[in-house]
Amino acid sequence: MRAVVAIAANTFREAIRDRILYLFLGFAVVLLVGSKLFGMLTVGDETRIIKDLGLVAIQFFSMLIAVMMSLLLISREVDSRTVFNILAKPVRRWQFLLGKYLGLVAVVAVNLTLMTLLLVVVVWVYQHELDFMLFFAGAMTMLEMAVLAAFATLFAVLTRPILGSLMTLAVFVVGHMSEDLWLLTRQLPGAFARAVIATAYYLLPNLERFDFHTEVVHDLPIPAAAVVWACVYAIVIIVLVLYLANLRFRRKDLM
Amino acid sequence: MADIQLEVRDLRKTFHPGLFESDVEVLKGLSFEVRRGEIFGFLGPNGAGKTTTIKAITEIIFPDSGSIRVCGLPHTDLEAKRRLGFMTESPYIYRHLTGREFLRFCGELLGMQRSGLEERISRVLDEVAMDAHADRKMGAYSKGMLQRLALAQALLGEPDLLVLDEPLSGLDPVGRRDVRDIILQQAAAGTTVFFSSHIIPDVETICDRVAIIVEGRVRAVGSVAELMSDEAECSEATFVGAVPADLRTPLLASHVGSDASWARVSSAHRDALIQELADRGARLVSLNPVRSNLEDLLMRHYEGEGS
Repeated sequence: MRAVVAIAANTFREAIRDRILYLFLGFAVVLLVGSKLFGMLTVGDETRIIKDLGLVAIQFFSMLIAVMMSLLLISREVDSRTVFNILAKPVRRWQFLLGKYLGLVAVVAVNLTLMTLLLVVVVWVYQHELDFMLFFAGAMTMLEMAVLAAFATLFAVLTRPILGSLMTLAVFVVGHMSEDLWLLTRQLPGAFARAVIATAYYLLPNLERFDFHTEVVHDLPIPAAAVVWACVYAIVIIVLVLYLANLRFRRKDLM
Repeated sequence: MADIQLEVRDLRKTFHPGLFESDVEVLKGLSFEVRRGEIFGFLGPNGAGKTTTIKAITEIIFPDSGSIRVCGLPHTDLEAKRRLGFMTESPYIYRHLTGREFLRFCGELLGMQRSGLEERISRVLDEVAMDAHADRKMGAYSKGMLQRLALAQALLGEPDLLVLDEPLSGLDPVGRRDVRDIILQQAAAGTTVFFSSHIIPDVETICDRVAIIVEGRVRAVGSVAELMSDEAECSEATFVGAVPADLRTPLLASHVGSDASWARVSSAHRDALIQELADRGARLVSLNPVRSNLEDLLMRHYEGEGS
């Protein structure tokens, strides 16, 4: 386990020194300018709009980190051949993959925590009370990003970096259209087209399961079962996708 | 502990570049053994399969067939990996880490105890004369400094077997001497060294035994003296009045100069050459015995494979 932690820490350190946390500044600008702008344009409960905008921005910037890091995750180690140094040591390939994955998750987690804290502060400025449910929404987004990071890891070992990033982005986009895909499978006329859409529906994760923005922004009740189910769903997908990544990587010749 | 520290048996590897490119058979049944405490040179031209063999030993690629044992254990065993120190050809680096951080990372991968790690890092940094630069980012290191640091990480776990891929290439004379001295010190301390190189003088200078690898096969193994003793002594003749191309006597090499011609002939054909030159009315200016060196041996195997 020590090797996994060392590889994760090195991945994290590399990302931080690559200034990936600067994306947080992008979020801060979007949130502060956006909240001011919407505050001027909106009549009514502007804090709800700020929460909504903030949660969407958190999700977007976290996704951006996962996609950007999938560009570098494995390929940089292989292209710069630093991976040779790691794998010649008493380290199993699955430990390397898991370390890279956890490093990516840690980078997203730190960014996401900073962004959520900023959102809580901004909402506190407008509302004069702390909305702890924003932390819950942030945690569920983190769960979503952990799933996305697993796909980023899988694509990093399956294909070239740019294509891997595009595929990670595609999982994010299609993952939020899962319900629409399901509707499409019922409405499309051709059997083949229905089969293709149904395959995509079953193969790709339903990321909407992690989206509790509406409930948090509008103070709606959140069913405990939905939260538990989302956690179980995330764990199953992450384990399965990382297992597939390892299946490909464990006997892969590195040139 | 085993007396054979590295055993490679009938290693085969074919790469499949793609649908429209033909397969490349790099290793064709390669076998050799490295004994405890020796410096074993792995000599061959570029593309002979040296780096592929090392990648197979370090589990970076997977051979199609054959077996590899490190310190008596299968090379995939974590204990075998713990006993092996590896330095890649042209050290690859994490630009974002300092030299010390890099070694700390390597120590963690080796499973070294935190308490002794810092002390061990200081010791290896001192050994490779990098202690003054240890807290600078690796991105700012020169090639020689990177080479030393790569050697430091290979030494960090106090390995029984050091696998070094072209450790002296690209270094200036001072760097070469320093790295060579470190390798010799390690060997003197009992570490077995597997040393891959295409630079013949390096191998001749520091290796106890040498394997010559050409086209994915080991062509000869032994000490430099043993390998050379198998080589027939030959002679170099300088003469005027005859053109080497016209001679019937088999020549190893020849050259036509403006004043005289030059030819190298094996000892077995020396008398025949003298006789033929006399028959043709040519004048033999000089005839000197010469001993083959490792380069001649390598070239003979290389050209023999190509022809």
